[in-house]
Amino acid sequence: MTLVNETRPIQTSGNKKPRGQRNLASRALEALLTQRVVLLAVLIVIVIVVMSLLDSAGRLSGPYDPDYLASSLISAVPLVMLGLAELLVILSGRGGIDLSVGSIVSLSGILFGMAYGEWHWSFVASLLVAVISGGIFGAVNGVLVAYIGFPPLIATLATYYAYRSLALVISDQKPINSKEIQDFYSAAQSIELPVIGGSLPLVPLGIFTFLIPTALIVWFLLNKTTFGRRLYALGTNDTAAQWTGINVRPNRLAVYALSGVIAGLVAVVTVSQFASARPDAGTSGNGMALPAITIAVLGGVAITGGIGRVSGIVLATLLIVWLNAGILLALPGNDGSQFQLLALGLVLVFASLLNGLTKRKYGGI
Amino acid sequence: MSIDERTKAAPPAKATARRILPSPVTGQEFVLIGVIAVLWVLLGIFTPAFLTPNSIQPLLVSIAPIALIGVGMTFVIITAGIDVSVGGAIMLCAVVVAKTMVSADVPLFVALAIAIGLGLLLGLINGALIAYGRVHAIIITFGTANIFQFVALRVFASSTVNGIPGTLDVFGRGEAGRTFGVPHSFAITVLVVIVAWWYLRHTAGGRHLFAIGGNANAARLAGIKVQPRVMLAYGLTGALVGLAACFIIASGTSTLDQAVGSGKELQVIAAVVIGGTSILGGRGSVIGTLLGAILVQTVTSGVTQLGWPSQLANLFVGIFIIIAVGTDLLRERARRKS
Repeated sequence: MTLVNETRPIQTSGNKKPRGQRNLASRALEALLTQRVVLLAVLIVIVIVVMSLLDSAGRLSGPYDPDYLASSLISAVPLVMLGLAELLVILSGRGGIDLSVGSIVSLSGILFGMAYGEWHWSFVASLLVAVISGGIFGAVNGVLVAYIGFPPLIATLATYYAYRSLALVISDQKPINSKEIQDFYSAAQSIELPVIGGSLPLVPLGIFTFLIPTALIVWFLLNKTTFGRRLYALGTNDTAAQWTGINVRPNRLAVYALSGVIAGLVAVVTVSQFASARPDAGTSGNGMALPAITIAVLGGVAITGGIGRVSGIVLATLLIVWLNAGILLALPGNDGSQFQLLALGLVLVFASLLNGLTKRKYGGI
Repeated sequence: MSIDERTKAAPPAKATARRILPSPVTGQEFVLIGVIAVLWVLLGIFTPAFLTPNSIQPLLVSIAPIALIGVGMTFVIITAGIDVSVGGAIMLCAVVVAKTMVSADVPLFVALAIAIGLGLLLGLINGALIAYGRVHAIIITFGTANIFQFVALRVFASSTVNGIPGTLDVFGRGEAGRTFGVPHSFAITVLVVIVAWWYLRHTAGGRHLFAIGGNANAARLAGIKVQPRVMLAYGLTGALVGLAACFIIASGTSTLDQAVGSGKELQVIAAVVIGGTSILGGRGSVIGTLLGAILVQTVTSGVTQLGWPSQLANLFVGIFIIIAVGTDLLRERARRKS
């Protein structure tokens, strides 16, 4: 809700000088405020330095070292992937948002668990079940939004309820943890990298099998394909995009379907992490959708569409994951998880206030 | 999105108040009344126990908090905003009031004042950030939801609050909570809905909210003080959250656990959009919200009474959202064509 559109002339006066004449400090400040990636990188460094200092002062209950940071990355896998799903959807504009990703994780996870654990299908076939079912659930959102004209918030709120309910009903509210599923836990373990691995910390396998491929594919889609460029056009101005000959509806539908496909992949990751297909995997507590949206906003995705980058999502997740890991060491037990809520809330409020400020000061993120 | 078509059609010189105003009950509301009536009849046929006071009274008690917060949420959504922090705010108000009652055994009106005052404060925090920070409402309220939950969990200290005295029983499910068979909490909710309906329809302040939701810039240029009005909408939501938290404590047992309020924000938003309020702002009604809350809770209670898995209720809620908003979209499209 932008209440005042015009920029303030007094504040922008410094901006009007040619770049070369401005001193380094003001340029650094502008980069920090306008380039979300720069800000996130600085914040990550601050978090690591502060936590390491606390560690060397003996204030932490465990070592905050590269091994710990690497092992905490396990929780980054679903966050980055769902953050990328939200990136795609929010980017597409017209109030794009997907509240249903957590429910799709639950429902596709149950379908995967049934196929792999109960019907004894091969892993690849079961993976396809998760991915295709996720794609179909996402496409339902896409049809409602792109073809019938539902506001995305409403369409995905409705399917959030529906999928979440279906996951609980078809599984009879019981998790699936047959032997196959339990053995599947090995997919979530940490591994040593080949060749150079000996001197580096152990990194969870999911980073290589799921996170990095997804991030690369989404990056490639957004930056190197016409689909990606159309998406930015769509998000910036729906009507203008239509007049330039972009077929708006199929493109918007595709975005929601892709978001569902990513949620289907996350379902498989989650099953491996829990060693069990839980019907409430993506919906228990605050669910998975809200943290994913938080990551997207923190990563500099404009909620109005048209602005957002893959690198922002990755860095925002690293910041949150490493901050949370540090909080857990500084305040063990319940205190830690409670202060994680506070940290997430404060970071989100300040990130969005900052978005508003930079918009007025520099005109855009 | 637009203010009602008739506003434009009315001749300015001779326009009477009645001709400018939209009709008191919208088409969506008639449809909802019909759907609820059909549901109640069907449930009455298939589960004979449904249309008895023992089943209707708890249903009305369960409708009250959703509809009450829904009134505030309707105001917020009419201004083209949204508040997803109500779940966290319920949790915080409920635990503060419960703890106060356990430790000090305060009288009823003090408990109410604490709850409503605290809720108002939380709402005004949201409102100030949204109106003056000029950031998107959904993002800010996601953030404050986390912060409210954090504070609530700190106040909880242990996993539950035990031994809550019966101070709030006048809003509860028991005999003390009813007059002539009507639960007090539901009666208060209906009263709030009527006052809110009158405010939105018949006062300048109410019409300003619609104008802000239709086009905030145009509203500002027309001389409406946008920011105080927006703060009012969020503050009202907060105050009603406080009152609803009291209803929730009263309708539970003497123990309050940390799950209180969890997921309520989506339930409230579902009731509001089923009631025909446009999420894009500028259009909506509190009567629709009350009917939406009745529909959602009827489905929830009906599924249980039919002996179906209770989780199935959410599937129907999802389907009702799609049908309600879908028919609204189709009607809008037909109206634009004609």
